[in-house]
Amino acid sequence: MQKNTGSKIKLGILVSVSFALLLIGIYFIGEKQQMFSATFHVSGVFKDISGLQVGNNVRFSGINVGVISEIEQITDTTVRVGMTINEKTHKFIKKNSKAIIGSDGLMGNKIVIILPGIASLPAIANNDTIATTQPVSMDDILIKIKQTSDNAADITGSLSMIMDNISEGKGTIGKLFFDSAFAQNLDATLVNIKQGAGGFKQNMDAASHNFLLRGFLKRKNKK
Amino acid sequence: MLEYYNTKQMEKSAILEQNDATENGFIKTLTDFFEGVSLLTKFTIRFFRQAFKPPFEFKEIIKQSYIIGYQSFPLVAITGFIMGLVITIQSRPTLVQFGAESWLPGMVAVSMIREIAPVITALIFAGKVGSGIGAELASMKVTEQIDAMEVSGINPFKYLVVTRILAATITLPMLSIIADAISLYGSYIGVNLKNDVSLRLFFLQAFQSLSFSDLFPSLFKTFFFGFSVGLIGCYKGYNCKKGTEGVGIAANSSVVFGSLAIFIIDMIAVQITSLLNC
Repeated sequence: MQKNTGSKIKLGILVSVSFALLLIGIYFIGEKQQMFSATFHVSGVFKDISGLQVGNNVRFSGINVGVISEIEQITDTTVRVGMTINEKTHKFIKKNSKAIIGSDGLMGNKIVIILPGIASLPAIANNDTIATTQPVSMDDILIKIKQTSDNAADITGSLSMIMDNISEGKGTIGKLFFDSAFAQNLDATLVNIKQGAGGFKQNMDAASHNFLLRGFLKRKNKK
Repeated sequence: MLEYYNTKQMEKSAILEQNDATENGFIKTLTDFFEGVSLLTKFTIRFFRQAFKPPFEFKEIIKQSYIIGYQSFPLVAITGFIMGLVITIQSRPTLVQFGAESWLPGMVAVSMIREIAPVITALIFAGKVGSGIGAELASMKVTEQIDAMEVSGINPFKYLVVTRILAATITLPMLSIIADAISLYGSYIGVNLKNDVSLRLFFLQAFQSLSFSDLFPSLFKTFFFGFSVGLIGCYKGYNCKKGTEGVGIAANSSVVFGSLAIFIIDMIAVQITSLLNC
């Protein structure tokens, strides 16, 4: 009889522990989905939700404050995203707050990030629509990268053509680098200029001693 | 010459006999299989008829729940702990390569709760409980105790089979929940072998990745696991052949078919879950 009671108690403990663990599990999972706390509901309209799913997190100031409760296609270009957000955060989400779709880390799930609005404005109302900003999608980034790389390819092509012309001695810079006759002419010209400048200096020295110009030069020095 | 001819004729007839035997063996196996399916279906229908018809053997159900459930707890707990620890240690290097070490609690929690803990618990359960039920009922059948119960006016099917199947169906989900919790603790120890993560942070990260669509389908399928293990164990034991050899065969086939049933149910459950988009 005593053994029978002992086995019943042990079985009771097993059942209680398993039920307690199940309830703890349900509580923690439910709490994450805002099931056991007061919430309010807002929605935002996006052109492209980039793979956002019901159950993804809503983040405000880096804190998970809610979850995506529904996603509904309204027209061929607009999608309404419903968000259930913890009531404790309500007062901080202002009328001009904006929602954008972001990503939780490099490989993480999609999330909705709510950007704070102006503090003096009233809080957004329950079931109101929050302003949205279209997210920059990976496809957009790839298109930009492609455009940039195409431009870079054009530039390098032009540079290559110019360098070819230079190496063939075409154009002024090409002649300067590779035409020896042009270089000799240039060298001779520079020698002539140098000689001319020396002669000009001597002439100017002589002129400064001339009585006709002496007065003018003195006045100029005084100034 | 005649001797040679006779030998050839004998060889030919031997080959033909062997072919006939193979063909007959295959047909017999096929017939046995379908007969088995038919008997198992009848057995299941009989269970449902008896299960909802009074009088209910509550005391025996509680006793069997203790034997089947409570006495399997240490084995399930140790297995759950080791599985959580091992999965964590094995997964860590791959996640470290991606710089995603912080995902370890979430990843282990999802894999343990969705799949590994329920299936491993059910397999352990099939090994321990299925063979136990099969051997117990088979030895009762062999020693004609079941016949004696019928003679003394006790419904042996209700008393022996219904109680055991119900006890297995009820206790396996409980053991699975406990295995889930213990495997997460094992995972926590595994994470802390190389890192320093607090228990609170570990469980926050683990539950962050979990949703009801991870918990409930896995919990729901353990009822079917428990039912199939109990049903197959009882069927094999209740319908065992006479002799001590029959007891061994009943115990062995209870484990084999019980484990196979677990995998088949798991496959069906995964398909249904994915169809429901969980």
